[in-house]
Amino acid sequence: MSFLSVQKLKKTYPVRSGGETVVFDGVDFDIEKGEFVCIIGHSGCGKTTILNVLAGLESQSGGHVFMDGREVSGPSLDRGVVFQTHALMPWLSVRSNVAFAVQSRYPSLSKAEVDSHAMKFIEMVHLQAAADKRPSELSGGMKQRVGIARAFSIEPKMLLLDEPFGALDALTRGSIQDELLSIVQETGQTVFMITHDVDEAIFLADKIILMSNGPQAMIAEVVVNTLPRDRRRATLHHQPHYYPIRNHMVDFLVHRASDIASGKEARPLVPRFVSPGLTPSH
Amino acid sequence: MSIFSNPFNHKITLRSQCSCGRHQSEAEHIAAESPALSDQEDALTNRVVEQGILRALFPDDKLRRGFLKAVGTSTAMAAVASMFPMAMAKEAFAASPGKLEKTKLKVGFIPITCATPIIMAHPMGFYSKQGLDVEVVKTAGWAVVRDKALNKEYDAAHMLSPMPLAISLGAGASPQAYTMPVVENINGQAITLAMKHKDKRDPKLWKGFKFAVPFDYSMHNYLLRYYLAEYGIDPDTDVQIRVMPPPDMVANLRAGNIDGFLAPDPMNQRAVYDGVGFIHILSKEIWDGHPCCAFAASKEFVTQMPNTYGALLRSIIQATAYASKPENRKEIAAAIAPRSYLNQPVTVVEQILTGTYADGLGNVKVVPDRIDFDPFPWESFAVWILTQMQRWGQIKGEVDYQKVAKDVFLATDAARLMKEAGLTPPTSNSKSFSVMGKAFDPVDAAAYARSFKIGRVSS
Amino acid sequence: MTSSVALRAAILSALLLLIFFLVWHIATMPVASTQVVSDDYAKLVGGAAAAGQQSAFPTPADFGRKLLEAVSDPFYDNGPNDKGIGIQLGYSIWRVLLGFGAAALVAIPLGFLIGMSPLMLRALDPFIQLLKPISPLAWMPLALFVLKDSNVSAVFVIFICSVWPMLMNTAFGVSAVRKDWLDVAKTLELSPLRKALFVVLPAAAPTIMTGVRISIGIAWLVIVAAEMLVGGTGIGYFVWNEWNNLSISNILVAVLAIGLVGMLLDAIVARLQKMLTYKD
Repeated sequence: MSFLSVQKLKKTYPVRSGGETVVFDGVDFDIEKGEFVCIIGHSGCGKTTILNVLAGLESQSGGHVFMDGREVSGPSLDRGVVFQTHALMPWLSVRSNVAFAVQSRYPSLSKAEVDSHAMKFIEMVHLQAAADKRPSELSGGMKQRVGIARAFSIEPKMLLLDEPFGALDALTRGSIQDELLSIVQETGQTVFMITHDVDEAIFLADKIILMSNGPQAMIAEVVVNTLPRDRRRATLHHQPHYYPIRNHMVDFLVHRASDIASGKEARPLVPRFVSPGLTPSH
Repeated sequence: MSIFSNPFNHKITLRSQCSCGRHQSEAEHIAAESPALSDQEDALTNRVVEQGILRALFPDDKLRRGFLKAVGTSTAMAAVASMFPMAMAKEAFAASPGKLEKTKLKVGFIPITCATPIIMAHPMGFYSKQGLDVEVVKTAGWAVVRDKALNKEYDAAHMLSPMPLAISLGAGASPQAYTMPVVENINGQAITLAMKHKDKRDPKLWKGFKFAVPFDYSMHNYLLRYYLAEYGIDPDTDVQIRVMPPPDMVANLRAGNIDGFLAPDPMNQRAVYDGVGFIHILSKEIWDGHPCCAFAASKEFVTQMPNTYGALLRSIIQATAYASKPENRKEIAAAIAPRSYLNQPVTVVEQILTGTYADGLGNVKVVPDRIDFDPFPWESFAVWILTQMQRWGQIKGEVDYQKVAKDVFLATDAARLMKEAGLTPPTSNSKSFSVMGKAFDPVDAAAYARSFKIGRVSS
Repeated sequence: MTSSVALRAAILSALLLLIFFLVWHIATMPVASTQVVSDDYAKLVGGAAAAGQQSAFPTPADFGRKLLEAVSDPFYDNGPNDKGIGIQLGYSIWRVLLGFGAAALVAIPLGFLIGMSPLMLRALDPFIQLLKPISPLAWMPLALFVLKDSNVSAVFVIFICSVWPMLMNTAFGVSAVRKDWLDVAKTLELSPLRKALFVVLPAAAPTIMTGVRISIGIAWLVIVAAEMLVGGTGIGYFVWNEWNNLSISNILVAVLAIGLVGMLLDAIVARLQKMLTYKD
């Protein structure tokens, strides 16, 4: 069985006039250990809800999630989260924010051990110079990096990121993506990330899940990222698979996502695995 | 009549005079006869006892005078002494028969001149002479005095004459048996009006006026109502009578919120001193010799700590005796004026105590007994107070006046002493007196209450 | 605040104070008065009455004299009815600290409970709304009747009047903690105690401190009123005692003292509040 298995996940909300509205239904996907999976889709398709269910912060209306053979129900230190807004505690310094998480994860460590463990991850995001600053004294990008450091510091089995770079400018985004990629490759972390940015997904992910529009959203396709694992920002877009994959995804987002939702395109019974990188561009 | 006058002289009636007739008061008489201070005090204490016993035996003044005239003073003294252990009684009262149960006491007072004996006993050593360490605590108002007395924060307190009665009856609070062993002062109040009314001295013109009194259950309230009613003003419908703390009265008079007040001194003199009001009439001109404030203790304190109570009583009586002498008044004024006590300018207190005062209209008046100190209560005073309370609807229904008055006033201290000595105490203990020309016979108190044109009792 | 703004504000404040004193001085300047009564009479009454006028509001000089008098010997003790203003203030501050301390000990945990539980909030709300507006002057007789001792009653009245702002602000602060932080607490698997102490409490601290600041102000207000009612020793009693003497100057001195102490108490809490405020 896969490391993480999502089976027939369904989420509905009651509607004021009675009855209910289905956000998504029949969501199935797997994630292997060490994989980096991105999920892309328009707003309202429920991708944040899926992430919250995986994190245990929300409960599903139907279906199951299994991690490591056990059913997921409720939050856990095994599944670390990086929130869309950094969610740092503003009354604590950077160091204390990360240390707080470390303490929660490893309560038996001494104060010195906690501190050195925390600093390891702060250095990983290159913020050691700002370790004693308060979040209000940091830029948006720095705050997100602290959030990443905090999430990594608890060394979770799986990391969940909810559009972590959405609020950042393009340049900052670029350098943080580099950082993230190198950390993930170094630690072999299993990651599930939500993003709007096609290029970001191609840069970071091994698999990209494409969701159709809601209501009644579903996973339309899973794009296999066939680009080589050793990626460099400067040269990546020169890779031959790059644009086929990119075009495929853009096509999906521009019309196919809504076509499936409206019924213009047939709903696949099971999400197809596609490898547009291998197919010559169309 | 001062209790310090010689009871065995048939010539003495109810006015302040001494037994030989040559002095202004008995106190002066004794001062002339026995100069030593402690002798004086002992003599005065003895008089207190004699007076009490004699009155218990012969409550009717006319009867007593008749008896003395018929028998002669020395025979009378011997006769009474043979039937009653007078010497024992005097001794018992003069010195502690036993150890003091409690020497540290708290006595509450309101900073008005009525409390002069209670207050002066502190700086002038009357308490300490009896072996008591008394803390006199200034209190914010009558309700607080009542509450602190009821919850035993105070061992004894300065109260308005009607208060021990009211407390015993449970009017205004939960009933607790209270006694009033000593009346602090007589007279000492006045009706003061705002300066703007100096041409409106006729009470008939006072319709629509607003008056203030310190407390509902007070001699002030009853005297004011009585005075107004005599001029045809209904105190409940023609004027407004409000309860107000005394210092507020002067301020409100100045502000024009009230037109006048009947209050204890120093408020009246203070109003004159500040140019805010004038003294319209002294309370002694309404009822000469009316009781005002009292010194009260719970029945529990009296019965469970009799020696301490006796010592306290003695100190107050001696202080009262000292205060009743006019030549001491200046000294007393200086002692009780400071911040710890009355907190008033010395000249204000002096004017009140000496009776030589400015009246607010440019005249200097001389009324030596503007305030006087006479510690012995009259049971019928209690009865009269009760009838007024009923007249104005403060208590409802019939009340057994005699019984309640007996319970409260310790004029029957003699009765107790007699009982201890194995004698039968007398049954009646009141005298009759007149208020503003209308006779009051305590035996027919109920009828008296109903006899008024203006009142709240239905005939 | 830049230093120039601070300096200018200080100058402006000083100017306003000066103008105030000037207006006071002019308003109370004695009118040319002639004695309209006999000499004997004049000796017996105050200066104003001798001139056929009412005694006046004290001048700044009168006030200054009394102030100097009070400040030169603030800790004298002449028995239960006459103590220096320093001692009176001390008693009052002590009572405030007791009552306010007790109120904090009750309000903050209870507020926590209410903030975390909508059920408790709905259930307790009617009682809170009913008791909140009751004036200390109404509580005092009740307290005296039940508790009997006047010192305990005064402390109780302070307690019952200053508990509400802290209670409501704590409840509000706790219930309004950002969901993000609560989610972080969840994903870190924090025990309820750790969550309460390390996430909810620091997050709600600024709001709680606002409540504390309001409460200390109310407590100081209440003690003066309470002491005027029951007497004893305290600044409220001092005011009443001077009121008995109709000594407006002394009352002004007391008023100044009350204002200064109130200011000091507020400043201390404000400093504490600043320490616990975070920029988001």
